[in-house]
Amino acid sequence: MNGNFEIALQLLGIGMLTVFLILFLVVFLGNIIIRFVNRFIPPVETKTSRTNVVQPAISTGKMAAIVAAVQAVTEGKGKVVNV
Amino acid sequence: MDILKQLYEMTAFGDLIANPGPLLMLAIAGVLLYLGIKKQYEPLLLVPIAFGVLLANLPGGQMGVVPGDLIDLGDHRYMNLFEIAHEYGIMNYLYYALIKTGLLPPIIFMGVGALTDFGPMLRNLRLSLFGAAAQLGIFTVLLVAIAVGFTPNEAGSLAIIGGADGPTAIYTTIKLAPHLLGPIAIAAYSYMALVPVIIPLIVRLTCSEKELKINMKEMDKLYPPKHKIKNLKAVKIAFPIVLGIVISFFVPSSVPLLGMLLFGNLVKEIGATTLRLSEAASGPIMNAATIFLGLTVGATMTSEVFLDAKTIGIIVGGFVAFAISVSGGIGAVKIYNLIAKKKINPLIGATGLSAVPMASRVANEIALKYDSKNHVLQYCMASNISGVIGSAVAAGVLISFLG
Repeated sequence: MNGNFEIALQLLGIGMLTVFLILFLVVFLGNIIIRFVNRFIPPVETKTSRTNVVQPAISTGKMAAIVAAVQAVTEGKGKVVNV
Repeated sequence: MDILKQLYEMTAFGDLIANPGPLLMLAIAGVLLYLGIKKQYEPLLLVPIAFGVLLANLPGGQMGVVPGDLIDLGDHRYMNLFEIAHEYGIMNYLYYALIKTGLLPPIIFMGVGALTDFGPMLRNLRLSLFGAAAQLGIFTVLLVAIAVGFTPNEAGSLAIIGGADGPTAIYTTIKLAPHLLGPIAIAAYSYMALVPVIIPLIVRLTCSEKELKINMKEMDKLYPPKHKIKNLKAVKIAFPIVLGIVISFFVPSSVPLLGMLLFGNLVKEIGATTLRLSEAASGPIMNAATIFLGLTVGATMTSEVFLDAKTIGIIVGGFVAFAISVSGGIGAVKIYNLIAKKKINPLIGATGLSAVPMASRVANEIALKYDSKNHVLQYCMASNISGVIGSAVAAGVLISFLG
């Protein structure tokens, strides 16, 4: 029993230390990745030329309502191609 | 008279009168089905588990999982799957092929990964540390369980319930104490279903109104984060790859669970090109795995295994582990608040468990009760998701030391 208790005490120390260490690494690595990406992989800006933009014949509010309704009815499978 | 006697012997009534244990197990299966169907306590898992219990205890059905020593031929040789199916039926075939090999929990973790968004955690990385503090219940209950007479392997399996992660609890138990799989799975999923009861109870006992009113968004305005993420998609793709590699160096035994979680997450984050993989992992594969996991785990709960004093120990110990884990997270936030200028709502510590996203939703509701403008969901998700990683690491530590 005493031997088992010693193992449990060891595990309490080692286990909590390991979990903290790993989550500390998560924080550290996360920060490194964020800095690296911010520096070397900037977000790609999508440029849209004015000539390509087609003014919708329907208001954006109505369009959003139609898209939401189609998604609700088709459980996300349907797409609004044309109105 | 002989005909009547033969008829009686053909039925299961004689066996049931001689050994009424299965009747009690059928009643327990009924209660679990009621909780799953009517009360909707984790129905996706509780219903298959309960039905597995039912099937295993139907007299003469040959659907109960037999102990591992019956398939052990000695000299590290075991019956093959065909022999197991022939001798003990299809449920044993499924159990020894899918569960005993440790296959299904990592498969479910892959699906969980495909459903997980690391975004809230990446936006609030510091809060991830509270996911570590919330693993305190695991290692404390390990100590207590050994003190009350569990073997170290059994105690490790019991204690992992405190991580509030069903697949992790099942995976650890398969590796350490497979004979306790049924009761531990039931306890783990029951307490996960009781998160909306347990967290408010512990919060009420440990937190003051002033602490619960700490507004995280106000704190962010006062002390804004140092680094803003400019390209979240790229960060989300790099994160599981880098993390998987680094964790494997430190805790290799957690790789089956965490590796699959991170793979599932990666295929989700890549986007349209791997959409089919992500949909398969989080949909059909995960659903099929859940069905077989539930049924086979339930089928381990025969009356001989379940009706034992250890089951009561597991149910009580599981609750204690769960409660200490929640309190551990809250305690860590309180200690942090003593030294930091930027205060943190203790509810964020309470969600350091791995019950995603239920723990965060419950914490958010509590915060809104005290201040209707205090939405803490995103912050709670940070510690909640790190709790998944934390409990998998804790399981890895237990397996490498005790396995």
